[in-house]
Amino acid sequence: MMDNKQYIMKRTYVVYAGVCLFACAVVFQLFKVQYVEGEKWRAKAKELTTQYQTIDASRGNIFSIDGSLLATSLPIYELRMDMRAEAITDKIFAKNIDSLAIQLNNLFNDKTVSAYKKELKRARRNKERYHLLQRGVRYTQLKEVKQFAIIKLGKYKGGLIVLQHDKREQPFKNLAVRTIGYDRAGKPVGIEGKYNNYLVGQQGKRLMQKIAGSVWMPINSENEVEPHDGADITTTIDVNIQDVAQHALITQLKKHKAHHGCVIVMEVATGQIKAMANYTRKDTATYLEQYNYAIGEATEPGSTFKLASYLTAIDDGYIKISDTIDAEGGRKKFYDRIVRDSHDGTNRISVQHAFETSSNVAIAKIINKYYAKNPRKFTDKLYSLNLNSPTGIDLNGEAQPRIKNPKDKDWYGTSLPYMAHGYELTVTPLQILTLYNAVANNGVMVKPMLVKNIQRGGTMLKQYNTTVINNAIAKPSTIKQLRTMLEGVVQQGSAQNLKTNYMKIAGKTGTSVIASSKGSYNNTEESTEAKAYQASFAGYFPAENPVYSCIVVVNNPSGKLYYGNVVAGPIFKEVADKIYATQLNLQTTPVTDTTFKIKKTLIQMGNSNDFATIMRALLHNNNYKTNADWVKINVDNRVTHNTKIETSFNKKSFNSLIGMGARDAVYLLENKGYSVIIRGKGNVKRITTINTVAGNKKVIIELV
Amino acid sequence: MKIFTYFKGDKVIWAIVLLLSLFSLLSVYSATSTLAYKHQNGNAFYYMFKHLFILSLGFVLMYLVHSVRYTLFSRIAQLALFLAVPLLMFTLLGPKINDASRWIAIPGTGLTFQTSDFAKLALIMYLARFLSQKQDNIKDFKSAFLPILFPITLICGFILPANFSTAAVLFVTSMVILFIGRINIKYILGIFFSGMVMLGIFLAILSQMPNQGRFITWKKRIENFRNPDSENNFQVDQAKIAIATGGVLGKGPGKSTQRNFLPHPYSDFIYAFIIEEYGSVAGVFVVFLYLVLLTRGINILKHSEKTFGGLLAIGITFSLVFQALINMAVATNLFPVTGQPLPMVSMGGTSIWFTSIALGIVLSVSRSINEGEDNDE
Repeated sequence: MMDNKQYIMKRTYVVYAGVCLFACAVVFQLFKVQYVEGEKWRAKAKELTTQYQTIDASRGNIFSIDGSLLATSLPIYELRMDMRAEAITDKIFAKNIDSLAIQLNNLFNDKTVSAYKKELKRARRNKERYHLLQRGVRYTQLKEVKQFAIIKLGKYKGGLIVLQHDKREQPFKNLAVRTIGYDRAGKPVGIEGKYNNYLVGQQGKRLMQKIAGSVWMPINSENEVEPHDGADITTTIDVNIQDVAQHALITQLKKHKAHHGCVIVMEVATGQIKAMANYTRKDTATYLEQYNYAIGEATEPGSTFKLASYLTAIDDGYIKISDTIDAEGGRKKFYDRIVRDSHDGTNRISVQHAFETSSNVAIAKIINKYYAKNPRKFTDKLYSLNLNSPTGIDLNGEAQPRIKNPKDKDWYGTSLPYMAHGYELTVTPLQILTLYNAVANNGVMVKPMLVKNIQRGGTMLKQYNTTVINNAIAKPSTIKQLRTMLEGVVQQGSAQNLKTNYMKIAGKTGTSVIASSKGSYNNTEESTEAKAYQASFAGYFPAENPVYSCIVVVNNPSGKLYYGNVVAGPIFKEVADKIYATQLNLQTTPVTDTTFKIKKTLIQMGNSNDFATIMRALLHNNNYKTNADWVKINVDNRVTHNTKIETSFNKKSFNSLIGMGARDAVYLLENKGYSVIIRGKGNVKRITTINTVAGNKKVIIELV
Repeated sequence: MKIFTYFKGDKVIWAIVLLLSLFSLLSVYSATSTLAYKHQNGNAFYYMFKHLFILSLGFVLMYLVHSVRYTLFSRIAQLALFLAVPLLMFTLLGPKINDASRWIAIPGTGLTFQTSDFAKLALIMYLARFLSQKQDNIKDFKSAFLPILFPITLICGFILPANFSTAAVLFVTSMVILFIGRINIKYILGIFFSGMVMLGIFLAILSQMPNQGRFITWKKRIENFRNPDSENNFQVDQAKIAIATGGVLGKGPGKSTQRNFLPHPYSDFIYAFIIEEYGSVAGVFVVFLYLVLLTRGINILKHSEKTFGGLLAIGITFSLVFQALINMAVATNLFPVTGQPLPMVSMGGTSIWFTSIALGIVLSVSRSINEGEDNDE
């Protein structure tokens, strides 16, 4: 027995030694982790456990002057799913996967049910903890998703992980997109860019700790740094005027296949910009708002600049608009270059007429005559009109204008006569408009403004008032003469196509030849290359008591027409007309009855009850009566004649319907059992029957 | 002190149990805070009181068992072994938790227990019984070695599919007990290597089966261990961070940050957690406590008059200490990840109770020696 015991003890000590060795290895390993690898693990610990996460402040809104929302931030969600969420057992998954796939397909409709199912199954098999379900999900959709199979198990359990981002949205879509601005490659442009500091707000900070299952949990119940939401910006933009300006511009650009164009509408008294539209041609059918030409492109303005030249000469007392000048048949050589008028053959004319017909020779001669000895006097006057410096509008990227002076190296003998009619100098459309606005504002030049105020949570942070740049750019008598001439341009000058009989427009056309890349103008007769033109019209309305000023610049119209009055003028007129029609304060004289005189004869076809209603409502005629259901009505000098329209179509003749509106014609035909195909639009021109195999009655209506 | 007269047997073992329980209570309270945040609305006391109850009941069990005359365990061992086999079979085919069929529910209590815990104790007791009975012709192959091989293979074989590490630990433990019980070294080495071969065959078959079950987990764990840069090595990295940031004196009670990342900081990785909060000092101390426990087991063996009692004491203490070292080796990344709890420390009801019962048996042997019961035959 003792022998055995000793053996047992011996072997036990061997085991004990082994265990001690094992224990030593554990302790050794412990110290190895703590000291040899310690640094590495401690560094890793720091990045893992806690971290400050930023909480984005919501970006401020941008409003139009009437409080319409021009730009706002909407929450947009990214949905992910933890396919290994604890509550999703194999049984639950198998039972609900079909419903979930169907529901996802129903809501997003981007993948088939089986594709969803396959994808979810694969994610489940791969044990994805962060499986992407959908991006760009809206709040209403998110609410629906939360009720979906499996996901409805609830937070954490259902595995749904929701990430929120803010998406910038412009509720009016294309309206003034470029002026409002957007994020271009991380750098916002437009108002978004200029006022980014106000809009962006202040990010908050929250200390988060990672807990099991890679869930970040805030350590404290309150944020360490609370986010401050961005401020709201109210612009001076008027959505209606902006809409009109954009529509008029794009229509005309398309018509003339122009490369690009811009429209600015400004309020005369305040300098508030009511509309600023820019379009660039993408392809023949598409124009996009990409670049703010209104402020960003300084070009040779051409004839619209003559206003500055006349202002200078009149204000300096050299000429009066009643003086006469010899236009020398529309050609005059200055040194090696010939200044030419668009209309040849004019000789001695009044200064006013020279302006109104846009004679280049006349103004070139005037300026050259009076300022050749002291050209500095001319350029200094232009400088005093602020034409040589940016307007300081509240947008980034305003182009630097250039008006040279005699000290400059590129000052030539031709500079003075050429500058006189808008060449050898560059200015932006906004600068020209600022000058015209000043003339309309009786000589008070105001700074163009785009932002009215900045508010945060209803508290006014900043209010912008009109800034006067120059209290009197010229003597009142000068301004008066200039305005007479500007009015004359439309009344009897180069822009008579803008004349309306309800409101007087004042302005000046401009057609300039665009310098080619080589710097030459191609405006010599010898040139064979096609010329590129810039058509513009700058002015204000109503002429007597100006409320708005406006400039339209269309670059490189590619049709045969390129004159300012033809290409740019109609845009100006449309804008002016629409503003006049919608703003009662412009309508100084009440509309008289004669304006709406009914056409001498008016022939309409339709339902007699409809006519009765129209008579009552519009003509206060309660006596309209007829026995026929469908009539042809003939109003002649307020006397109506009715002719009954035959609607039985017995003889398979539909001639009685010719001239009727499509809606009424379709109604009548379908009531008789015909199936109708419509081609074209307008009133009925011709009706033909088609024989069908089944014997169905089928007709084709062709419309005018 | 009168109270000590109620606690008979080795006083050092009692002290070790108390110290380990203390560590256990403190660690579990802090380590379960994440669990509490997730499941109990942040009420961390829920897990502490539950654990305190389990520890107390374990203590009661230990006390009761230690009062039992240890020779009775010889008979119980036989019964327990017969009971263990069907229980193991039942769990293998029964409901699964974490892909592993290890638990069995005790009807009406809502409690589950790992049948392998029960089978392990039963096998160790049976080995002590068998070896002590065959001491006279222990070197014989046919009458001693072959018959003892049968229950070892049976039990380990049934545990293996559900719980590889437990089966392996139990197998090694059994071999060590056979070694101490004077079985021929040649046979032990032989069975050890044939065991390895059989394991190899088992794994080869399993890898060819379509539903690989736990096999994938094992494979992954071993791959991760061999390739420390693997992205899936999250658990081990977190344990190392816990150990490295703990330093000499630790971050202090309740100051652990790694409990948020450590998988089962209250169980499989509790050793790393203890080092994080109480430092390497505590880490070394825990190792020391287990070594002392083994020393006390040897001491009992030395003073036992009967081979059964001695083998029982050394078998159980070795089994516990070995398991503890495996757990600590995993936490320090000396071994690949396995699910072995730290005896008496890790949270988990029945594991603690079986440990308590096992230690109660050791104390019973010790008590008998002290009181001279061991000699009266």
